[in-house]
Amino acid sequence: MTTLANALACVFTLGCSAFLWKPASGFYRNALLLSASLLLFCLFAFFGVDDFSSANMNGELYPFRMMALCLCFSTTALPKYRRRYLVLAQILWCWIELFGGITLYYRGVDVAWTRIAAIAGMAVCSTLLSRISKEMEFCLMVFWIAIWIFF
Amino acid sequence: MKGTSLQKILFYLGLVLFIPGILAFGSALYNGPSAWSTDARSYWGVPIALFVFWIGLAHAGTLLSAIFLALGIRLDHRTAMLAELSTLCCLAIAGIFPLMHLGVIENFYMVIPFADARGNFANVMSPLVWDFCCIAVYGILSLLFFWTQLKAKVNSSFEKLRKPVAWILFPLVLWVHTVVSLDFASTLVPEWRGAFFPVYFIAGAVYSGLALVNGLLCLEGYRVRLLERLMLAVSWLLLVVWLWNFLLKGDFCTSAFILAGVIPQLLLVESVRDSRAGRGLISLSVLFGLWAERFYMVMPSFGVSQNCSLNYTDLGLIAFSAGTFFLLFLGLRRVLASYVSDAGTFFGEVDGSDIAKNEIALGENVGHDSRDDQNKDSYVAPWSTEEFRLLRMPLLCGILGVVLFSTWSLNQNAFEHVYLTLVNILPVMYPIVALVAIVVLYLRYFWRNNLWKSTSKIERYLVALLLVMGGLFAGAFYAGGPSEPSPYEPTFLKETVSEPSLLWNARCSSCHGTDGNFNQKFVREFYPVPQKLTLDRLDSLGVDSLAHVILNGRGNMNAYLGRLTKTEAKALVEYMRMLARNNEQKNERDAVGEVD
Amino acid sequence: MAVAGILFGCRKLPFVGETSSADPTIRQFQDEVRLAITKAKEGLDLVRVQAPGALSLPDASRDNRFGMAIDLDACDGCGKCILACSLENNVPLVTAEEAAKGRFMHWIDMHEAAPFMCAHCENAPCEKVCPTGAANHTPDGLSAMTYKRCAGSRFCGTNCPLQARKFNYNDSRKLGLSHQFNAEVPPREKGVMEKCSMCIHRLQEDRARYKTSSAAAAVVSGVPVEPWRGRGVKTACAESCPKNAIVFGNWLDEKSPLVEATRNRQLYAPRQLAKFGPSIVYMMGRR
Repeated sequence: MTTLANALACVFTLGCSAFLWKPASGFYRNALLLSASLLLFCLFAFFGVDDFSSANMNGELYPFRMMALCLCFSTTALPKYRRRYLVLAQILWCWIELFGGITLYYRGVDVAWTRIAAIAGMAVCSTLLSRISKEMEFCLMVFWIAIWIFF
Repeated sequence: MKGTSLQKILFYLGLVLFIPGILAFGSALYNGPSAWSTDARSYWGVPIALFVFWIGLAHAGTLLSAIFLALGIRLDHRTAMLAELSTLCCLAIAGIFPLMHLGVIENFYMVIPFADARGNFANVMSPLVWDFCCIAVYGILSLLFFWTQLKAKVNSSFEKLRKPVAWILFPLVLWVHTVVSLDFASTLVPEWRGAFFPVYFIAGAVYSGLALVNGLLCLEGYRVRLLERLMLAVSWLLLVVWLWNFLLKGDFCTSAFILAGVIPQLLLVESVRDSRAGRGLISLSVLFGLWAERFYMVMPSFGVSQNCSLNYTDLGLIAFSAGTFFLLFLGLRRVLASYVSDAGTFFGEVDGSDIAKNEIALGENVGHDSRDDQNKDSYVAPWSTEEFRLLRMPLLCGILGVVLFSTWSLNQNAFEHVYLTLVNILPVMYPIVALVAIVVLYLRYFWRNNLWKSTSKIERYLVALLLVMGGLFAGAFYAGGPSEPSPYEPTFLKETVSEPSLLWNARCSSCHGTDGNFNQKFVREFYPVPQKLTLDRLDSLGVDSLAHVILNGRGNMNAYLGRLTKTEAKALVEYMRMLARNNEQKNERDAVGEVD
Repeated sequence: MAVAGILFGCRKLPFVGETSSADPTIRQFQDEVRLAITKAKEGLDLVRVQAPGALSLPDASRDNRFGMAIDLDACDGCGKCILACSLENNVPLVTAEEAAKGRFMHWIDMHEAAPFMCAHCENAPCEKVCPTGAANHTPDGLSAMTYKRCAGSRFCGTNCPLQARKFNYNDSRKLGLSHQFNAEVPPREKGVMEKCSMCIHRLQEDRARYKTSSAAAAVVSGVPVEPWRGRGVKTACAESCPKNAIVFGNWLDEKSPLVEATRNRQLYAPRQLAKFGPSIVYMMGRR
């Protein structure tokens, strides 16, 4: 996958996250939106990653990483319990990366430790956040995007 | 009552399934893996498919009670109790299969990452070791959680323990299924290729767990809308995951798609949703669908190659697991009836109408605690909740424990020729943290609140018995069994007698030393120290009995029957005597030298 | 406890029909090999590889890495190596049903006309997943099995891309399917995995002999002992091959017949195994 496509994926998740957990949407609508965005991510990854052979195995995880990032983005818009869900979403992302990395390690791919450490560090640090301001939301998003693109 | 008569029918159904099932189980236990059909590629077959299926179902209880409790999502006590009870039953069933599928069942303990005196150590790189640790810890903690739930009804000070334990169990339950998925995903079997398996397996486990609980609730004669909605939502997610699996590898399980993907969508139809039979049948269909999915995954060549088909033992094992579940669950349900169906335990509502109201009012986080709703400002300062304060010290102890364990295990001799990295032991870390943390939490809490008094005598005896048995097991493990000679007599052995000194150097000197004093390095690092071969000792034992020990082994001495002839063993005894005599003379000379 | 003991030990209980029929004859082994050749597995997908070098595992030997090279230009798939291997290592026969399914216990399989045995990979995937550490690597490059430590989880067999490992589904002694031709090799019990050991007993015997005799010689002459290189050892399959297509030796020993035979040849390994560093490779064509 090219760097451009990777950056595009990030923008794409940001777009999808805007629809989640809207104040007026019910349970089914949220669930449907989440599944639909995962579906879109799958299609995006399938057509964006041209090679799913055993040589390039990182693609297997791509839509799920996108979903985790999307959930991270979406938590900033929650009205309540923001810190808790923010931390949980980041832990989910870390989880997907870590255990995906372990399975790939057993098939001969190195684990992306910097990325995992960065996400874990972010998750730990964000437990310290008190009331999250608009600026802090922006900062968090910038950090996530940086992790996505650069690590 | 309709509910109880249905339960009776199911109980008899369980009995009908169980009786042929136990026969099949016995035959499988006696005959070993040749009894059921295995496919030539994965060697595993039905028992492992059953294991994955039941361990998935086991997640329902912890998910519903622990995770909902931790996240403050409201659920009535009765549902939580039912779900936890089903978890314990499923876990017991799931635990049987990986044990019985082993080729050499009595060696199962070698999977435990704990050293014995000979320096043998389980291979912590193997997903099976992670699996064993996770499931053992999960079983213990689920049992403890359930017991706390029961005690909380009698003694309110137990109530305070539930939420911290729930926060520990929350990651653990996900961890367990992640590790189960690693059993498959970390191998090289093409059908099991997938770094996304952890998410896939967790979604599948949650889905099957919800289906089971919904089915059991139908049996009880009531419903929890929240769980029905969750089941439907998870079905959508799982459909997408199946699609991804198909895009990636071209694998598609049609029966799972129809039974667990399409049919549950009928829940959207109001008349189906509102009929008890409709809900029950849909839950059943989901369970069948997911069983088919697990089965086809474990046996990739089933249906593809003609060499792979089910036999009676396979069917019997399936019947055995279902029958055992019905008997165990309904039996325990009866025993614990006063805890489960006591009307006083209701504190949630049943039909879900106020959840809908909440949603409209709040828009998110379905069914949050009413306490939080009234308290509009739900803000809590970081690191300040009550659970956190209770958990702080135990968690630190847990982390310390895991650091100690890692350094100790990585320094084992067994890993001298193995590249071990953090990746290889990371999956066993959280279960250890969880176990240590919970033990510390309970001990501290009991100590502080003087809760020992509130336990009954039976409970105290039970704990003492468990401790003694655990200690005995650990001791036996550490000591290791004596090496028994092979049951096979060699059919012929060349009657050659080699030079005893060469034999000694080749066979014995690695432990006993070339000069008859121990090979210090080897003996210290690998074995408990062997007997000292002094002249007095050798003379007191006699040639025949020493030769017998050489040939048949004793304690940690290996048996050499088949590698040495009797004449050679006797020659070795003579050689040993000569070495001992030399050593004695040397010692005398040294002693004289020191005096001088 | 007692119940648990019975449950765990029940496969060893002798109470159901002790069928100790006559030991099989060599003729039966020959017939089975002939049958196995007709049921050969699909051909190997070979890719070019470099000659194996020193192991990169911690504390691995700098002197020895044993291996073999199979000359596919010379091999005609006669199957004599399979028979020799079975007789050397006391490999049992299988039941008629198993044979019909094409599941044999032979340590060497025929893939079309090419013999394939465990390649003793440097980073063997089977060893990684063995929970008890029964499948392990020796410092001189053998992927070894500790039968007494095997719990029979069959995980190693699942993780071998070419199914080089064989599982003892049956008690072959009881069924009269095995005969101990070679006293040096212990028969495997029911429920454990086995596979090509690269005739480890021959190597170990040679090592013991070398160490004792050279130690004696060193004491006499005062010359420091040269490390053991396993010279002169041959595996049973290499010994039996009428075309000398299988060459056994030490990849790190310049004087080894293996290094000499592969010097000007192009080396290949099965695609699925190439990245794990197999010690047993194929040779075809001149370089």
